[in-house]
Amino acid sequence: MARFEAKRRALMLRQRFSNALVLIGVTALLGVSFYVSDFFGGDHGGNPLERIASLIDRLVPDLKAEVLLESRETPGSFSSWYYDFPRWLGLLWETVQIAIVATVFGTIGGGFASLLASKNLSPTPWVHWLTRRTLEIVRTLPDLIVALILVAAFGIGPLPGVIAITLGTTASLGKLFSEANENIDPRPVEAIKAAGGGWWAQMRFGMLPQVLPNHASYALMRLEMNVGGAAALGVVGAGGIGIELSRAITWTQFDTYFAILLMIVGLIFVIDLMSEAIRHRLMGLGGRA
Amino acid sequence: MSVSVADYAEALRIAPAAMRRAPMERVLRIAGFGLIAAGFVAMCISVDLTPTAFAKGFSKMLGFMSGMFPPTANGGEVRILTALAATFAMAVAGTALAVAGAVPLGLLGAKTIVGQPVLHFIIRRTFDVFRGIPALVWALMLIVAFGLGPFGGVIALALSDLPRVAKLYAEALENADMRPQEGIRSAGGGPIKAIRFGLLPQVLPVMSSQSLYVLESNFRNAAILGIVGAGGIGYELEERIRIFAFDQVAWIVIAYVICVMLLDWVSERIRTHLIHG
Repeated sequence: MARFEAKRRALMLRQRFSNALVLIGVTALLGVSFYVSDFFGGDHGGNPLERIASLIDRLVPDLKAEVLLESRETPGSFSSWYYDFPRWLGLLWETVQIAIVATVFGTIGGGFASLLASKNLSPTPWVHWLTRRTLEIVRTLPDLIVALILVAAFGIGPLPGVIAITLGTTASLGKLFSEANENIDPRPVEAIKAAGGGWWAQMRFGMLPQVLPNHASYALMRLEMNVGGAAALGVVGAGGIGIELSRAITWTQFDTYFAILLMIVGLIFVIDLMSEAIRHRLMGLGGRA
Repeated sequence: MSVSVADYAEALRIAPAAMRRAPMERVLRIAGFGLIAAGFVAMCISVDLTPTAFAKGFSKMLGFMSGMFPPTANGGEVRILTALAATFAMAVAGTALAVAGAVPLGLLGAKTIVGQPVLHFIIRRTFDVFRGIPALVWALMLIVAFGLGPFGGVIALALSDLPRVAKLYAEALENADMRPQEGIRSAGGGPIKAIRFGLLPQVLPVMSSQSLYVLESNFRNAAILGIVGAGGIGYELEERIRIFAFDQVAWIVIAYVICVMLLDWVSERIRTHLIHG
């Protein structure tokens, strides 16, 4: 009994000691991080809470109830707040197009990459290894950093944005798809092989029908993410609504910034709803097929 | 046994309806696909994705890429590595703030705590909508408000994480088993004891491991924020892209990729340790 008690006490002591070490380590990391990030004694243009209050004050538009529906020229009207509405709508549409085109090409690219990156389908082990590592490296690079480099080559416009998001989508879907590919039932593939089907026929008729509902649902989720991502691209000159966001900020038109932000939020909401509806239908189909 | 072309022609002659879809359905299908394809091509053209534009930019890109070799820091190793460390610090601080804010929000979003279905739906929907706003969009605004530097960047990271982490936490809380808590209550423990010994041991490992995921993604996001004035590695990178110093860009990108992979590896080790003890 005494031995048990002693052992228990020693164990508890060791546990406490290692807990304390972790606690000290994490606290130190946090302390240094907040210090380096200017949280202590940095000058943020005055009291941070006051700054936030003044920021919110500048974000909120100066609407007046009595002239709310007046023309653009009347300050305080709704259309003077959204003074460039048709143009913003056009840029929002460009953002959606960037996201759709990039998601389509990224899904195709990710589909092919996933064939090479799945252990059970890859032609040789070293192709599997190489594809995996390449996808990993591309995945570490944020889309916007890639876009920044591509803007230098392709010039300002939506094209570098499309390529950057396509690359990011290919890398992330390639990984997700390959994980789904590795979980398929090998028997249909083997049956087609046994019937004399080549690699292509095995993939098209043995593998694809099994993974298609799952892949489509991943691709749609990626589309949702890409719409948000594409909204930021314009900040680095890669097309879409972001260009108006950064213009509004350089001219310190915070109410305009807020107006555009609301449009982006609305867009994301609509895309989410649509994609969710399609995904639910796909899942139903997947069950039947 | 294999099917020859002649067999197929024979089968088609005997029973055309079995081998092909009805003519009207075929026309509709082809028209539908054609319409979608035409729409997609129109979209590609509208985002400048044309062979000429692509080829022009691509040849320029190849020039940049050949300029990337050999990568060099040009004597700026210490500066670049310090910037990387500052970016990591931003990510840690942003994650800490997001986690602190997400705990109460996660409680609000958990079905087991806020049971009212309409309220639950509205709270979750709000998370979903704000989840889509990229950190860069917050940062653009906050850095003007707080001045250049990492402070605004950290707040932006935290704001963009908040809805995402809150949702993850809410799900973790919903998945927690209620029975240990009930057991403690019935053994005479108070509500604090029930949470400390009944709930926390269940959700803490999951929540910590999710926070590590958030840290990983924040390290990537923090690198971007330098572009809009939060400093760190993004600033160093943009500066060198602007002067077309692609050999230095390559050095920074390689250093960055190694750091990200290192962080992902360490975080994965800690996560397995947390989940499996």
